[in-house]
Parts: sequence; structure tokens; C-alpha cells
Amino acid sequence: MAKTLKDLRSVYVVGVGWHRYQPLSDTPYVMLGLPAIRAALADAGIAWTDVESSYIGTGLLGMAAGRAMLKHLGATGRPLVHIENASASGSAAFRHACIEVGAGIADVSLVIGVDKPGVVQRAFTKTGIGNLADDAIVPFTHFALLTNEYAHRHGVAPQDVALVAVKNHRNGALNPHAHRQQARTLEEVLGGRPVSGTLTTLQCCPVGEGAAAVIIASEDAIKRLGIDPARAVRVTASAASSEAAGGQAGADAAITKDTIAAALQQAQVAPKTVDIVELHDAFTIEELHYVEAMGICKPGEAIHLLKEGAFDIGGQCAVSPSGGLIAMGHPIGPTGVGQIGEIALQLRGDAGPRQHKGAKTGLAHMVGLGAVCYVHVLQRP
Amino acid sequence: MSQSALLKPALYAEQGTEKVPDHPALNGGKCACGHVFFPMQTYGCEVCGRHGDALQPVRLSGRGKLVASATVHMHAARAPAPNAEVKPHEAPFTIGSIALEDGPTVRTVLVGVDEKTLKPGQTMVATLVPVGTGAKAIVDLRFTPAT
Repeated sequence: MAKTLKDLRSVYVVGVGWHRYQPLSDTPYVMLGLPAIRAALADAGIAWTDVESSYIGTGLLGMAAGRAMLKHLGATGRPLVHIENASASGSAAFRHACIEVGAGIADVSLVIGVDKPGVVQRAFTKTGIGNLADDAIVPFTHFALLTNEYAHRHGVAPQDVALVAVKNHRNGALNPHAHRQQARTLEEVLGGRPVSGTLTTLQCCPVGEGAAAVIIASEDAIKRLGIDPARAVRVTASAASSEAAGGQAGADAAITKDTIAAALQQAQVAPKTVDIVELHDAFTIEELHYVEAMGICKPGEAIHLLKEGAFDIGGQCAVSPSGGLIAMGHPIGPTGVGQIGEIALQLRGDAGPRQHKGAKTGLAHMVGLGAVCYVHVLQRP
Repeated sequence: MSQSALLKPALYAEQGTEKVPDHPALNGGKCACGHVFFPMQTYGCEVCGRHGDALQPVRLSGRGKLVASATVHMHAARAPAPNAEVKPHEAPFTIGSIALEDGPTVRTVLVGVDEKTLKPGQTMVATLVPVGTGAKAIVDLRFTPAT
């Protein structure tokens, strides 16, 4: 029978680092990625020469970005691979690095997500099969349609959905790595430029540039390299999926439900005992969909919990304490890696003003165009 | 109307179905397994994987129920129109998600709608609207509330 990550040897996140997510600048991607990697190595207290393989999550840079960046750390001749999986590129890179270390093929691996905005033609426009108006229906309209459907089904007002953005901007204001670091009132969120349906600009994630790095290691490596075991956070589940036939418009929530359930079962954790969730809130409505899909509450009830502060830092379950995609930002390749970094900081108690006290279990969730879905669970003893 | 060229003839036809004769039909497909899809293709069935002749054209009636709608206020200027003879989409315009009576759900531009009165569940029908920029008459498929 096939195994899960939990069945392999234990894998730990031992170092995290970022280059701030920010609007497009003249900084070459190499100088976004290298500072993040050096920060993660310093955080782990290990040298680049201790890293045995590298996984590069990137969606927009183009072919073969990795060695041109990594060689400036000293070209060790070790294997590297690029992973593109749309918004979930970084999450996919993390999963496959965990599998390599879990399987015992490497003891220490680097996961680096790095990207700059760029025009990449989406392959689904090249299938040769026509469509009625896909040129008029970009992602924010996909989610505006889902917002409209949710609002009618559950009797939720647009200003209630916008509260997700108020919370996430508030969290992002406390995060030095976030693209948006400014708290916003509900009036500011609602008063911004209308985008599509009831979505306004501050309810949509910014897509900028940046980098996030994590170092993962086996128990052997932690002992051999003298890494502080108290700062090592174990990865207790990795689950992934893609959209099945018949999913229609609700595919993102449907695959989220199944993939989170698989990950929680792997980690043997109940939904309501998760302390921190970093989820794919590219648009406000998604946070409501996904906390419900996760089983924290019933469909239509997320808004009530949000209003009660249940998803605030210090609440029942801190949802996107980093600021989420809405405030931390969504530079594509780095996004999923940065989620893992935030959860590691939180579980170590190193999240400073964003600290959710006593956090022991964190869950990272990403969806990507396609649709694909990735979920990881991280835990400390 | 018969003088006009269809912008996307692979996707729809001016003539309606027997059930809904007054509205253009959509060119869907049906697999030997029973799965009905839009648009027609023979690459392979999303449900069972059968391909080629197992997938046969089926005309889907141009009528369905509104699932959701959204008026687009920001639309990137770089989004290309299919060709220079066709008007580009200019915001604001309204997109609808429509569950066709014959199965598939489609998303496209709505015309003749007042966003405030649109209600999920209301009946929508297909219609052909002029989209040409020049002398050549070109029409494209839209959905509009049934009267």
C-alpha cells in the first residue's frame, strides 16, 4: 500500500527566511532569492554546503532560474529542480522536498520560492478548445461570481465579506515581510476601487515580487549539524490533489475540503484543534469558503465566527496571521513557502507582535489554477 | 440576422433546438458514458476517458438558470479582442454563470440586464448580438433574462 509523508522518517522545518514581498522593482530575481536563502541558512545555523538538494518554486520567471541564482552561494554541484504549479508552485516545491528528505534520499533540502511579475501565457488558452468569453473572465471575476452565489445562498452582505480583508490587513500591518503593511478600516476596504461584483481592490491580493525560503532536515541532520531541536518544527502531513470531473464552479472549495481532510487524518488532528491556518485568501470570499470546507464551522457560519473574532490572532484559530495573500501578498512562487515559514515562526513562538500564543498545530493551504490543492500540517510537541 | 457571420461558429449556431427554437443552441457533446459537456471536443471525456467517436456532438438549448452574476468594473486594456474586426470588452460589463437546462454550466457576458434586479435562479436565454467594428456584420453569443 502507498505511504503518506507521516509514514516516512520525520521531516522538520529548521530555518526560514524572506525577501519582503513588494511591488515590481528593478531588483533582479537573484537578489530577491539570495537574501531569503541566506536568512534561512542563518536561522537554521547551518552552511550552504550542508544543503544536499534544492527545490525552486517559481511560476513567472521562465526556464532554468535556479542555478543562475544558487551559484552565488558557491556552486556545490548538488541537484536542483524547478517546480511550477501556478499559485501552488511553492507549496508543491515544499511537498517534494519533504518527500525526498522523508524518503532518506537527502538529509537537508532547501525550498526557495522566488518570482517577479511577468507575462506568461496560461497553457489552458492553448488547448485548441474554444470558449465563450474567457478573455472577459479573469480570476477576480471567477471569485466575484462565487461571492455573489455565497451571499445569496447564506444571506451574507458584501460588507460582511469585506471583514476578512480588515482582519488580514490588520495582521499584515504587523508583518515586516508583507507587501501591504497598513491596517484598514471597513470603510476603507469598501470605499476602494470596485473591481468585479462586490470585490474592491483591498479585497484582492497584490501580485508583486519577493522570495521565501525554508530549510528542511531529517532528525539525523539535526543531530549531526547541531541544530537546536527546540527550534525544529515537524511536518506531520502533506496532501495534494487536483480537480475531479464535475466540480464546476465550486471546485476550489471541493478540493480544499478533501485535501484538508486527508492531511488532518494523516496528522491525526481534528479541525477544531488547529491553532493557526494560513490559507489561499487571494480574494476575501475564499477565506469563508475554506474555513467552512475545513470543518471549523458549518457552511454559512464562518461570517459569524469572523465577527466574534474567532479567526483573529489570539482567537479560537488564527486564520492567516501573516496577513494572508490579501495583505502579505501573492508573488506566486514564494507564497506557499512563506506560509510554511510563518507557521514555523508561530509554532516556535518567534512571531513577535503577530504571535498566536501557545500555537502547537498549524495548517498551510494553497490552491492553484487548474485547479490543484496542497495542504501541509506542522506541529510542535 | 442570417447575413451576419458568427464570431465563434464552433461554439454555437443561430438555429435553436426543437425544445427552445427561438434562441441559438450551443454546440455541446455527449459521451457514451452519458456525460454531457460544452464545448464539443473529441480529445477525451473528463468523466471516463473515452475519446474519439465515443464523443458525439449534441445541441444544447440556449436556456438555463442564472447561478451567479458579477459586474466587472476593472478590465485590463491588454486583454486582446479575438480580432481587430471585433469590439473589445469594455468595463463595466456583466458576467453570468448559467446552468443550462441540458446540463453544463457556462459563463459568459450578459446583455440587457439591470444588476440590481438580477436574481440567482431566474431563467436566462441565449441571444446573438452585433460585435463588429466595421462594415462586416459579426455576431457573438450572450445571455439575457427571458421575457
